[in-house]
Amino acid sequence: MSDHYPSGFGPHDWSHGAPHNSWAPLILSAGFCVFLFSFAKLFVFGDIAATDDITSALAGVVLGLVIISTGLYVWWQQDMSFDGTYEPKARGAPFQNIDIRKVAMWIFLMSEMMIFSSLFSTYIRYRTALPNCLNLYNELNAAGNLVSSQTYTCYEPASQLIAASWWHLAPGAINTFALILSSFTVVQALRYAKMADLDEEVRRKKVYRYLGCTMMLAMLFLSLKMIEWFIGFNIFGHEIPSLVSEGYSIHASAYQPHWAHGGHFTTNIRISATMFYVTTGTHGVHVLAGVIGLAYLTLKAFRGGFTPENAVTIEYFGLYWHFVDLVWVLVFPFFYLF
Amino acid sequence: MSHTILGKDAYWMNMWGLMALTAIEVGAVGLDLSRSTTLWILVSIGIPKFLMIAGIFMHLTGEQDSRVLTLTALFPSAFILVMVIFIGLTHPDATTALPDIFRPGYWGL
Repeated sequence: MSDHYPSGFGPHDWSHGAPHNSWAPLILSAGFCVFLFSFAKLFVFGDIAATDDITSALAGVVLGLVIISTGLYVWWQQDMSFDGTYEPKARGAPFQNIDIRKVAMWIFLMSEMMIFSSLFSTYIRYRTALPNCLNLYNELNAAGNLVSSQTYTCYEPASQLIAASWWHLAPGAINTFALILSSFTVVQALRYAKMADLDEEVRRKKVYRYLGCTMMLAMLFLSLKMIEWFIGFNIFGHEIPSLVSEGYSIHASAYQPHWAHGGHFTTNIRISATMFYVTTGTHGVHVLAGVIGLAYLTLKAFRGGFTPENAVTIEYFGLYWHFVDLVWVLVFPFFYLF
Repeated sequence: MSHTILGKDAYWMNMWGLMALTAIEVGAVGLDLSRSTTLWILVSIGIPKFLMIAGIFMHLTGEQDSRVLTLTALFPSAFILVMVIFIGLTHPDATTALPDIFRPGYWGL
C-alpha cells in the first residue's frame, strides 16, 4: 500500500480502496446543527428577534457557517484528488454490482421525497379544510352577510396573485423552463465526461461549460425567486410588485385581496402564505445547495478533473439535480397556477 | 443512456417535451376554465412530466439497474400515500371538517 497521501485530511490511496475515515460528514452535520438552531432563534414569527436575543443567535449562525465551510473544505480537498479508479460496488441483494454511491444517492433522495411529501400533505390538508377566500367572499356577498369590520380566516392561494397576469407569472414560468433546461445541460456534461474517444481538452471544455451553464441557470432561478418574493420588477411600463409588498406574507392577519375591489374584505391568510413560503423556500434551499455543489464541480471540471472513469460523480449530482426539477414539477402547478 | 425518441436524442426530445407540456400548463391557466377543469389539466400534465424526468433524465428506464432502482424509488410511496390521504386524521377538526372524499360512504364503503 502506498504511503503517499495527496490530502492531509485522511488516507487517500484510491488504488487500494476508498477511504472510510473522512471527518467531513461529521463536521458538516455539526455545522448544520449549530447553524439551524441559531438561525431559528433569530426570528420570532417572521420578524427579527429583539436586539438582546439576537447577539448569541447571530454568533451561532456565524459559527455554524464557519463549521459548514470547514466541512465542505475538507470534503472537497479529499474529493479533488479522486482519480476515479475505484468505485465500490454493492455485494448483497438487491443491489448487487450497483455502485454503492448510486444506491446511497437514491436512498438519500427518497428521504428527501418524504420531506416534500410532508409539506404537500400539509398543503392538501389546509387547502381542503379552510374555505377558499374567493369562494367565501362570493358566498357572503351573495347572502348579504359580509361584515366589513370582521376578519375572515380562509385559504388564499398565492396563485390568486401570481396567476393574475402573465407578468406576475413570468418569474415562476421562466424558472420552470430554466430548471428543465438545466436538467438537460447537466446530462450533457455527463455525456461528454463519459466520452472516452474525445480529445482531453475538448472534453474538459465541454464538461465545464455545460456544468457552468447549469450553475448559471440555477442562479437565475434563485434571483427570480428573490425578485418575485421581495423586490418586484418594472418591465415595458408594467409595474409588478413583489409578493411581500402586496401584503402576501406569513404574518398577514389583515390581508386585503386584490380581487375584492374596495377593500371591504379583510382576511387572515397566515396559513396559506406560510405554506407557500415554506414549501417554495425549502425547494429554493435545495437549489442553493445545488449551486454550491455545481460551483465545486465546475471548478473541478475546469481543472480537467473529470474523466470517463470518474464521470459518475456528475451522474450522482445529476440525480440530485433532476430530483430538484422533479419537485418543482409538482410545486409549480399547485402553488403558482392553481 | 444512448436511446432515441423518434430517431432523435432522448435527452433532447425529453427536454423539448417537458418545455411543451409546461407551456400547455401555463396556457391552460390563462384560459377562463373552471377550477376543477384547471386542476384536472394540471394533474394530467404533471404526471407525464414527473415520469419523463424520472424515466429519462434519472435513468429509471433503459438501464441495467433501472428496475431495482425504480423499486427503491417506489419504496416510500406507501408511506407517502398514507401521509397524503390520512393527514386529515391528525387534524383537531378531523371528525367534523374532513372533506367528503375522506368520509365513510363516499366510495361506497
